[in-house]
Amino acid sequence: MATDLRISNISKIYPGCIANDNVSLQFKSGKIYALLGENGAGKSTLVKILSGVVSPDNGEVFLNEKNLKLSSPLDAKKNKIGMVFQHFNLFETLSVFENLSIDATEDNESLRVRVNEILKKYNFSIDLDVPVLNLSAGQKQKVEIIRCLLRSPKVLIMDEPTSVLTEQETEELFISLKKFCDEGILIIYITHKLKEVLSLCDEVAVMRKGKVVSVSQTQNERVETLANKMVGQKLAKIKKKINISKNKDEIFKVKHLNFYSDDPFETNLVNLNFSVKKGECLGIAGISGNGQNELFQILSGEIITPDTSIIFRNKEIAKLNPKQRREYLMAFSPEDRISQAAVPELKIYENVALNNFKSSNFFEKGLVNEKKIKEHSKKILSDFSVNTDNVELKSQFLSGGNLQKLILGRELITAPELLICYNPTWGLDVGAINYIHETLIKINDQEKSTILISTDTEELLKLSDRIAVIYKGKLSKIMPSEEVTPEKLGVLMGGGSID
Amino acid sequence: MALYFFTPFIAIILTILGGGIIFYILGFNPIEALKFYFITPISNLYGFSELLLKATPLCLIAIGLSFCFKSNNWNIGAEGQLTFGAIVGGGVALLFYNQEGFYILPLVIIAGAIGGMIFALIPAILKTYFNTNEILVSLMLVYVSKLLLDYLVVGPWSNPEGFNFPETRQFSDSSRMPLLFEGLRIHAGIFLALAAVMLSWFVLYKTYLGFQIKVSGLSLKTAKYAGFKGKTMILVVFMISGACAGLAGVGEITGPIGQLHRMISPDYGFTAIIVAFLGRLNPFGIIFASLVVALTYLGAETAQIFLQIPKYTGQVFQGMILFFLLASDYLLFFKVKILNLKKNELRH
Repeated sequence: MATDLRISNISKIYPGCIANDNVSLQFKSGKIYALLGENGAGKSTLVKILSGVVSPDNGEVFLNEKNLKLSSPLDAKKNKIGMVFQHFNLFETLSVFENLSIDATEDNESLRVRVNEILKKYNFSIDLDVPVLNLSAGQKQKVEIIRCLLRSPKVLIMDEPTSVLTEQETEELFISLKKFCDEGILIIYITHKLKEVLSLCDEVAVMRKGKVVSVSQTQNERVETLANKMVGQKLAKIKKKINISKNKDEIFKVKHLNFYSDDPFETNLVNLNFSVKKGECLGIAGISGNGQNELFQILSGEIITPDTSIIFRNKEIAKLNPKQRREYLMAFSPEDRISQAAVPELKIYENVALNNFKSSNFFEKGLVNEKKIKEHSKKILSDFSVNTDNVELKSQFLSGGNLQKLILGRELITAPELLICYNPTWGLDVGAINYIHETLIKINDQEKSTILISTDTEELLKLSDRIAVIYKGKLSKIMPSEEVTPEKLGVLMGGGSID
Repeated sequence: MALYFFTPFIAIILTILGGGIIFYILGFNPIEALKFYFITPISNLYGFSELLLKATPLCLIAIGLSFCFKSNNWNIGAEGQLTFGAIVGGGVALLFYNQEGFYILPLVIIAGAIGGMIFALIPAILKTYFNTNEILVSLMLVYVSKLLLDYLVVGPWSNPEGFNFPETRQFSDSSRMPLLFEGLRIHAGIFLALAAVMLSWFVLYKTYLGFQIKVSGLSLKTAKYAGFKGKTMILVVFMISGACAGLAGVGEITGPIGQLHRMISPDYGFTAIIVAFLGRLNPFGIIFASLVVALTYLGAETAQIFLQIPKYTGQVFQGMILFFLLASDYLLFFKVKILNLKKNELRH
């Protein structure tokens, strides 16, 4: 029986951000649909609405012209909407079969018969009696898919399914998805990988800033046209003046940066080489999850990789920890404000003391010099216009923008030669974003350098002097930003190549 | 925040109510039984001294554990560190069994602290350099140290004039903690516990080490980002914790016991985990908590005498305290929502 899923005028507003703005889409079984968009385009919110995790503020969902009320994931299941999330929901220590039987409603014998039928039909080779922790990421995903198939779904939603898969596993997945499609299951495929859209899907809907900007047949699209739609024409670049003469000194140089991880949710980095000049901002673009986390931690010294060479101001610093790197006048602003860069349960002055550089005298002879830390904190609060002057305030009471100002202030008040920041304006309002952008430009004007790792292409084009793109742990060639167009960035971020 | 320090009181009240219900089911008058349990033991001076005597090791160990727990290191083996500290301290005391001298007791105490420290270093080193789980290792080591003590008191260290009883010689008076009052068992070890409270408050709140412990406990990611030396800190907190447990062990054998035998501790090392959490890992909270939990030990003994119920009811009360503490924490910080699910809804 044909399935017809219709989303009508869905809106969802979060404080300070419109996640879905009047989204209407129509899907019919027999086709594979792609939902494409950058981070924060609203894909995830839409999927959460379809799977009942989030309720929309407005709008309706129709399945075969029946108005669905999806107020919990259970409702989605009842209406035969299956969902495979990017992160698996499996009990690692239980066997595959035990995982499948947890929410099954039939007895174990008949369940086993049905599971075996599915395994045979789709050529899945999984041993049902081994613990899940022994499976590869691809096999775990198959277990999740089997779990959906057991409920004979009408709609199957896959959220970024290939992010943890190898090339081989990705191919296998595509074959299975096409089979499901032939059997009349409606498939919605969420991704930001352009090539996958073109090779797998029949129709593609592109989202940007909460809106559907285009719906088209993939046969009419190319990597470039999709990239353009995804990233958008970013007009009126308020670019800073580029004040880099070619013969400035290289202050920071990375050679042979390799990183290998056993964790399938981490990205391996493959031979990154780059350098930063004095007063320059090097932008590193990319969709999140392509190795930015790992890169930031290696640059800050939280992860030490063997055989990497990092030269900073003519000294080899690859083996130093973050505190030691700070002594050489590096500063770091991580992406995660509330569980890494600062601790919400700590008071403002205690968070300031986290950047404990040698000349600070925050801790003398092992004792806390509270007076000194508080004086220093007061100065940060006023210099970086944080909207409080109470250093005893717990940081959890600061807004995101003010917390980020505090963190940047803490890192910058030591006048570092190089600031490495990762998504510094993530989740902030326009006022705070502008303030932080101005601050970052000011640093470059003072002949200090910055490395800006960001998933926001607009921000990168505005602030960077040179830009490279990281994709699956590999860095593209580094381009002067006047040669970079949003389209080029989009192609590189989606795994395409440019000449 | 105020609630955070208030929940221990709720837990204690619930424990008393729960105890009353249990006594009622057992056929006792709950009010009477609770009076025997919580009032009678401390209604005279001797009882009060016994309370302090039992609270001393609990307080000492819990103070040490608070360093570990605050920094996210789960040292469950204080009982083993206590035992090993007692073995090392007791060994030194036995060396001097027929000698007198003011220097002997300090030597015994220091040996005990070092013993506990070394024993705590085992899980710490295995954790930092071989990535083992400190909960398992420290717990297993409890049984190692208990069996070692067993072997020593039965074998090489057993009292030659002791008719093969599993115990060592009596320590000489120079190895014994001075008694504070004539006729009461409370001894100078209580000052060690009080000193530990003061010192731990200073270290936790006024030093760089304390700051690192605090940050690591709240967010390991932040500690890494700030460049704290994580491994050194793990070793240090385990050493502090082990030293405190070792001191507690030495306090017992040089205080009320006066020799080594099999039963030197009624699981003080495990019960102190409850004390540490009931005291909210706060040095002064721990003093209060150690008194409350010590009372359950005493109450159990009185109850055995007057009500003819086994003294293991003490453990029932300790268990209930922890249970109610965890439950009230959980219910305070989470919202409970009752879903009306019909089993059939899951089927389709």
